[in-house]
Amino acid sequence: MVIGSRIVEAYVGEYASGKSEVAVNRALELAAAGRLVTLVDLDVVEPCYTLRPIKRELEQKGISVLAWETRELIGLGETGNILRAENRWALRRPGDIILDIGYGVEGAKTLALLEDADTDPDLQVYAVINIARPMTGSVADIVQYVLQLGGIDGLINNSHLGDDTDLAIVQEGSRVVSEAARELDIPVVAVTAVTELAELIGPVDSAGHPVRKLVRYMPRTLW
Amino acid sequence: MTVQSAMPKCWNEETKPHKFCPGCGHGLVLKALGQAIDELGIQDKVVFGCDIGCSLLSWDFFNVDTIQTHHGRTNPVITGMKRANADIIGVAYMGDGGGYAIGSQHLVSAATRNERITSIVVNNTQYGMTGGQMAPTTMPGQKTETTPYGRDPETTGSPTQGPEMVAAIAPEGAYVARGSVANVRQLKGYIKKALENQMAGNGFSFVEALSLCPTNWRTNAKDTWKFLEEDMYKYFKVGELKVPGSQEKEGQ
Amino acid sequence: MPEKPIQGEKKVFVTGNEVVAWAALAAEAEIMYGYPITPQNEIMHYWTRTIPKFGRRFLQTEDELSAGFTTVGGVLAGRRAFTATAGPGNILMQEPLSMAEAMRVPIVAVVEQRGGPSTATVIYSQQEVTLTTLGGNGEGLRVVYSTATHQDLFDYTIKAFNTAWKYRFPTFVLADGYQAKMRESVVFYDPAERGIKMVPTEAYVGRPGMPGVDRPPMHMRNTYNMEEELYEVLQEYLADYAKAAPEIEEHEAFDTADADLVVISHGVVSRACKMAVQELRQQGYKVGYFRPITLRPMPEKALREVAATAKQFLVVESAQGQLARLLKEAMYGGTAEMLTLFKPGVGVTSEEVVARVKEIKG
Repeated sequence: MVIGSRIVEAYVGEYASGKSEVAVNRALELAAAGRLVTLVDLDVVEPCYTLRPIKRELEQKGISVLAWETRELIGLGETGNILRAENRWALRRPGDIILDIGYGVEGAKTLALLEDADTDPDLQVYAVINIARPMTGSVADIVQYVLQLGGIDGLINNSHLGDDTDLAIVQEGSRVVSEAARELDIPVVAVTAVTELAELIGPVDSAGHPVRKLVRYMPRTLW
Repeated sequence: MTVQSAMPKCWNEETKPHKFCPGCGHGLVLKALGQAIDELGIQDKVVFGCDIGCSLLSWDFFNVDTIQTHHGRTNPVITGMKRANADIIGVAYMGDGGGYAIGSQHLVSAATRNERITSIVVNNTQYGMTGGQMAPTTMPGQKTETTPYGRDPETTGSPTQGPEMVAAIAPEGAYVARGSVANVRQLKGYIKKALENQMAGNGFSFVEALSLCPTNWRTNAKDTWKFLEEDMYKYFKVGELKVPGSQEKEGQ
Repeated sequence: MPEKPIQGEKKVFVTGNEVVAWAALAAEAEIMYGYPITPQNEIMHYWTRTIPKFGRRFLQTEDELSAGFTTVGGVLAGRRAFTATAGPGNILMQEPLSMAEAMRVPIVAVVEQRGGPSTATVIYSQQEVTLTTLGGNGEGLRVVYSTATHQDLFDYTIKAFNTAWKYRFPTFVLADGYQAKMRESVVFYDPAERGIKMVPTEAYVGRPGMPGVDRPPMHMRNTYNMEEELYEVLQEYLADYAKAAPEIEEHEAFDTADADLVVISHGVVSRACKMAVQELRQQGYKVGYFRPITLRPMPEKALREVAATAKQFLVVESAQGQLARLLKEAMYGGTAEMLTLFKPGVGVTSEEVVARVKEIKG
């Protein structure tokens, strides 16, 4: 195992902004670099919908996944508001920790349920932004949204239109998210895009932000 | 000296004589309501929703806009209307079954949300239109079609104390009273206050009216009043239970 | 006056529930009444998040009975009002919907179907077709739009308000839990800029003037003393419905003219069927595609035209024949053989449809 500084990142943001996709890819990227990684599903509202269906697949790729399994939730009937006990202690685990947090302002508050969330020196909280989401479509909306979330250390431009994504939306996203980040006085940590678009952009975008290649796992889940 | 008109002005003369049984209390409750509407001059603002049961027979009683709703659903219909147009003065009119049995969740929720509507429940201790079955307000020992040997509180519970319940759960601003057709003047006063309370935007306004049902009670005129004033008064206390801004009046 | 929620056109990436909330905003809906039930909750979430800016209103009720009846009250007061529900909530909603039918109250209800019977599941299902088209103790005097894509959800939520207010029949927008939570891109637009004029609303009660003096009092009735009175009212309603039906009916179809077998499906399942038919055509199979968009009224004329030439129908649905039952009624007397692929409460893939057609065709 590679000995390096511990990476602890929490991904928050608007409903359907791409938090899970970005978190999964980040965890896999770190694991591919030989690091010890735990991916934690902290979406307490819709625990059934995101990481759960691909849990086994991710574990085969070498990361530990703290998420519900379908059979464990049978009997709840609904997609209930429920926190998995083991997940609460996730920050005490060795190695890198990637936290996939529930959506919106209430989702971001889920961090408060995590032991050591207020004291962990390595914890970085990143807001995932997709400018094609109606609530975060403009600089003003993003600034307001991120201020509501509170305690955000950086932004990630994950602007896309699902199957209809093109370079234009990613680049427009970079422009808008950069401007919002300047107003908020926080960095743009990364730009994310599916591999073929990421390759067109290169290792950094025009504003110098690092580009992360995304493999889309979510369409293989329910979404 | 002036002679008081027998009919309130807002009554619809064309639909009189009304359709209630001889000796029914509904006519008296609706007289009190009609007088209150006249005195407040709100005939053109009132929308009157009536429940299913004998209360339904009031659907064309007034020259005001009316809505026949479903059994127990008058409170939500009037609530939805008031929420959509605050200028309307909404009156939800129902029997004890509609108010306290099938529609109890709506009464409880309208009260706790302090909906700005006036809700009137007519209590005659049984289901009249369906032929005299036990109601939430049927008294212990009272014989009805579904309690042929008398209501047994052990197996069927005790009479619902509607205004007491509403007064307990409604926030400040609500008005709650129980009147009786034996004192129409007092009942009119309560209903008028309940309408004024809605107009002032204070909160939920609730009046239970103790009423008469000689047809299902199978009582003559004398025994009908005796049933109300002796038997019902034992279980149901007349008076104001909650008046905005005057905590000391509670429980009177 | 508050600004318009959507100005011009904008391509966005959203979930189905958000689409409904934004479409209702765009359609100038004034008030929503609702009770929480998965999977429709985010309609309320996004409605309540956005409305302060646009001067709209919301009431969270004590249950779906109340959500439906308050919606009726809101419409009677003259507002463009709507509600949303699913599954067991849809069952309760049938009571107020029955009153809306009886009084010709144009309420709009969005139904995100769940698996059933009972509480069951919250994701993939088309098991509320019978309930939504024919629920209540009446004659099904209602309009039901079944949506397949997020663009449909946007377009038909807007259209539902206009259909409801134009014809004065309660109108449903039908989707399911999968569509509610699924994300895809969609174009949001201001209806006015597309030439869509919202049908004006009007108050049923509380109109100006002194009742009994300036105007007769309005008595909204659903109860009748005599069978003949009810019969007369219903005859008028049924005639209105029959007259409106051809104007309301909608369907989508392709490759049916020379098809031996036509695949019929609705809603989210028609996405898989569309892909399957396209693939089968490329492989030389003479198959066609038919999708009723209105499940009530059924596009009867279009269906009968297809039935006149096709030898076989393959009905595909996430239910045990709820669509098939409506189709049989609409096509009674037709000679086409009706084959099925029923998967109640689970998803249908295009591969499964292709396999079923190949099984039939050998």
